[in-house]
Amino acid sequence: MDPTKDTEAKADGPCGCDCTTARERLYLFLDREIDNASCEEIQQHIEDCSSCLTEYDVERIVKSLVHRSCSEQAPETLVQKVQFAIRTVEIQSEA
Amino acid sequence: MLACLERPTDHAPHGALAASVDCAAMSEDAEQEIDLETETAAERQARFEREALPFVDQLYSAGLRMTRNPQDAEDLVQETYAKAFAAFHQYTPGTNLKAWLYRILTNTYINTYRKKQRQPTQISDELDDWQIVAAEAHTSSGLKSAEMEALEHLPDSDVKEALQELPDDFRYAVYLADVEGFPYKEIAEIMDTPIGTVMSRLHRGRRMLRDRLADYARERGLAVSGTGE
Repeated sequence: MDPTKDTEAKADGPCGCDCTTARERLYLFLDREIDNASCEEIQQHIEDCSSCLTEYDVERIVKSLVHRSCSEQAPETLVQKVQFAIRTVEIQSEA
Repeated sequence: MLACLERPTDHAPHGALAASVDCAAMSEDAEQEIDLETETAAERQARFEREALPFVDQLYSAGLRMTRNPQDAEDLVQETYAKAFAAFHQYTPGTNLKAWLYRILTNTYINTYRKKQRQPTQISDELDDWQIVAAEAHTSSGLKSAEMEALEHLPDSDVKEALQELPDDFRYAVYLADVEGFPYKEIAEIMDTPIGTVMSRLHRGRRMLRDRLADYARERGLAVSGTGE
């Protein structure tokens, strides 16, 4: 049995979802922007194809890194300034 | 293939349904019942503080990524809240308040800060056929497992630095998708562009970001295995 052929057959996946389709839709899959059927197709392909799985893992890690790294806390003074501005406007408009 | 993009969005903002609303009545219908005609100025001010203020950390984080400067981010957020409050009577209760605030933040940024900075960073979207971009985007990252490990453990500072190097529009699209988890449709509304442009910005931004982070990870991966300390 030719191991190369075996790999190719796997890459095409039993669902007929090939690497090209999977990679084109990788971000849609990652961002949950596709319907359930396509989602399952890609999920199936990724599980069977190690190079697409690696691609997916890298994208997933990058997405979670951005999520993790960008949550800042606003300075307390900013909150106070915003509140002050809102309340001052209100006093003026009621005066 | 893109039919799902029209999926309904139900991003109820955390903390937006506030204390004065009876728990049992915390459905959208109940929220719709706020009578904007009879609401007093004081009631509206209280409702604004209760519903809009909890987003201050998120708007500030977004402001920081946009302006790259804490003082400008503070000013931007302050201005955003001032405008949002002035226009709060136009906001329909029960609709997505977070997206509404983000739209004001974005417009304020474009009208004030981008002009001020005179950045000619509006990259042309003419070549934005996202499928072409998609096809070329996913070449193998070539990361080894140690480097994948390093990638996962990159410090926040590396990620922020890499983000800062992206063109404004790419960085913001990535931010809205990855940090806020907005659906493409809402990102399109916030950035006032077609969904195709959003997808293209995401593709291009993420590809650049990934390349940059992969470089950092490789350096750190090598540093870990290379030095015998």
